[in-house]
Amino acid sequence: MATMEGPSQSFVDEIIVCENVHKWFGEFEALRGLDLRVKPGEVIVIIGPSGSGKSTFIRCLNRLEEHQDGRIIIDGIELSHDLRNIQVVRREVGMVFQQFNLFPHLTVLDNITLAPINVRKWSRDHAEELAMTWLHRVGIPEQAAKFPGQLSGGQQQRVAIARTLTMQPKILLFDEPTSALDPEMISEVLDVMRDLARSGYTILAVTHEMGFAREVANRVIFMDAGKIVEENTPDDFFNNPKEERTKLFLSQILQH
Amino acid sequence: MKQEVSPQLQEDQKGPWWRVFLSFIFDVRVLGVLGQIGFILLVIIIAQTIGGNFSENASRLGESQFICRDGTFSYRCAYDFMDSESGFDIAETMIDYVNTDPYWTAFKVGLLNTLKLALLGVTLTTLIGIIAGIARLSDNWLVSKLALWYVELMRNTPLLIQIVFIYFGVVLALPALKEAIQPMGLPIFLSERGLNLPKLIFTSSASIWIAFLILGIIQFQVLWTSLGRREERTGQASNRVALGIISLVIVASIGWFTASAVSDTQGMLVTKGSRILDVGDLVKFTLRRAKVNHIDDIAALPEEEISAAAFQVCVLEDSSSEANLTRHLRGLKIPYNIHRTDRPDQATAKFADGTCEAFAASKSILAAERATLENLTGNIIISIKESPLVWSLPVLEGLNMVGGSKVRPEFTALLMALVLFYGGSIAEIVRAGILSVSKGQSEAARALGLSEGQRLQLVVMPQALRVIIPPLIGEFLSLSKDTSLGFAIGFPDMYAVSYTTMNQSGRVLQLFVLMMLVYMTISIVFSGVLNWYNERAKLVER
Repeated sequence: MATMEGPSQSFVDEIIVCENVHKWFGEFEALRGLDLRVKPGEVIVIIGPSGSGKSTFIRCLNRLEEHQDGRIIIDGIELSHDLRNIQVVRREVGMVFQQFNLFPHLTVLDNITLAPINVRKWSRDHAEELAMTWLHRVGIPEQAAKFPGQLSGGQQQRVAIARTLTMQPKILLFDEPTSALDPEMISEVLDVMRDLARSGYTILAVTHEMGFAREVANRVIFMDAGKIVEENTPDDFFNNPKEERTKLFLSQILQH
Repeated sequence: MKQEVSPQLQEDQKGPWWRVFLSFIFDVRVLGVLGQIGFILLVIIIAQTIGGNFSENASRLGESQFICRDGTFSYRCAYDFMDSESGFDIAETMIDYVNTDPYWTAFKVGLLNTLKLALLGVTLTTLIGIIAGIARLSDNWLVSKLALWYVELMRNTPLLIQIVFIYFGVVLALPALKEAIQPMGLPIFLSERGLNLPKLIFTSSASIWIAFLILGIIQFQVLWTSLGRREERTGQASNRVALGIISLVIVASIGWFTASAVSDTQGMLVTKGSRILDVGDLVKFTLRRAKVNHIDDIAALPEEEISAAAFQVCVLEDSSSEANLTRHLRGLKIPYNIHRTDRPDQATAKFADGTCEAFAASKSILAAERATLENLTGNIIISIKESPLVWSLPVLEGLNMVGGSKVRPEFTALLMALVLFYGGSIAEIVRAGILSVSKGQSEAARALGLSEGQRLQLVVMPQALRVIIPPLIGEFLSLSKDTSLGFAIGFPDMYAVSYTTMNQSGRVLQLFVLMMLVYMTISIVFSGVLNWYNERAKLVER
């Protein structure tokens, strides 16, 4: 049984490989040839102006969006039209959404154990045990019997994180996890994310939390108009950006 | 120091009397009370107008309408006329009914027809509606467009027109009984006379088998839950579906053979001279007469020799004995010829004059009939084993179908029209319900690795149902009330029977009150059940 201390071991050098990924929405080209290689345990923060394709890109990684050209290989499995591959990849890749997307008709505990029982085919006892461990780790074990509608936004997002992690994924995708939260709830979610980043999960996070990026990211990626404009260490990214576009963006967001 | 008072309030309190009065009237609390009083007055006035009109009419009709058996008049005797003879025939009855039965029985026949139509209609409509609703959302272009056309066609034409069209244009336009449509060679006949289906008959030994079946189901349940608990505890999947079904099948088969072996109610009257002592002897009997050595050789004989060798047997019309005996005869490959009679004595007469070589019926009937025969000892009754369930298959004989169950064209057309019409409405409700569940829910389900089926079943449908159920209640209620449109094509539902009763007896008021009560009861039951479900499915929120 995998422990909850960290993700299960991966046996590939590069857990995410993207080569020349293209994506169109009708006439509009959302992704214009992305290349990215991620090693197991790396924490990558993706930033960029709205409409730059950040969310579209990470949604391609578990095939919530379909890329139309190029290759995406997750943990040695190529995402193609083969449904079996998609199912395997989705089991290994967890995703946390901006709008939490908890299931309102199920209790917190049932939200978390739904996929482990039905997808991983674990026993209810085992799934609930692990779910409770994760609820402890995100700090809200006392909310297990409540329904999502009874929780605050920050609590809901922490449940969503516990739900994702109980599936024991190797890769975590965060799609603007704090953007829908009140300011005083952002820190409680960021604390959990920091904790996870230090536990060895491979993380790709789209976020506007520059503090988080500075503190825990191995790499920061800046995207604009469907392309990766700059890829850098957090230090260099914030202090010595190479590209003019990055400088402009940083000057705009850091003014506020 | 003086307290600040708003200028408005100052004016109100100190102004002239009409200003004080106006500010009193326009106080929201006073307005609320005044509104209530006004509404109650309105209700009383309306009730008095209607009630006065009603009692005036009732007293005018009093002498003829509320007459008691002893000749006095009383409102309590309003329904006494329902005990008198109806005098009209009803084409479709689920219970025994003849035209000498009282109006009450006729009403009951109509009510049962209405209920049958409503229950079958609601079940089939839900099925069609869910399928069409999901099809509307399909990625498959043809499937979704077909569903769209179906929905638009059904919703944009009146139900009454559809009923009449399906009756005259579809069902009555079907081929004659002789050229009946027989889908895939199954014993199902669709013709202008309606639908003929195989009928499952529960015989006298069915109760033994059903007892075994219940035992098997209990065992299945126990096995299911205990295996399920173990599965949840240990996480080891056991094949409890297969295990449960196997055990159920074993118990059910033991019950089946036990019930068949102990059954002893069916028999056959034969002459001693035929040397038939049990059903198996019929083979030897037939071989002797056909002058062949093996039963398979009979099929090779010319047509007229086969019919000459055929076993002539009398049965009663619509009896399970016929279905049971012919099952045995078909199994033994014996050619046979059935003679059906309405009454036992007619069959006995045919048996006595030699038209029939045997008379198959229940043993009690046979014993009584045997006693009437002159040559008592020359005739014996042999036992025929009977399975708990016997299929009665529809067979074309001359100009009529015999055996099986008949669904009349009026019922067929009405059911088809109701199901198709309301299926269209429910499809839209189902579609709206599914669309009401946000896209994020599906994305979260997919991201967690749930399959498409699991996503629909575990995440989307439970949430969609909360939106679907309330309007669904309305559709079910409309459907059960719209069964009364069957009047247009002569289906004897409660309304049609009541209408005839009204015409004959002149008791319009009583029958309308009765009908309204029944429709109201049906509606309350339907909405009660669904409201209970809706209450349970509600989301818990802060």
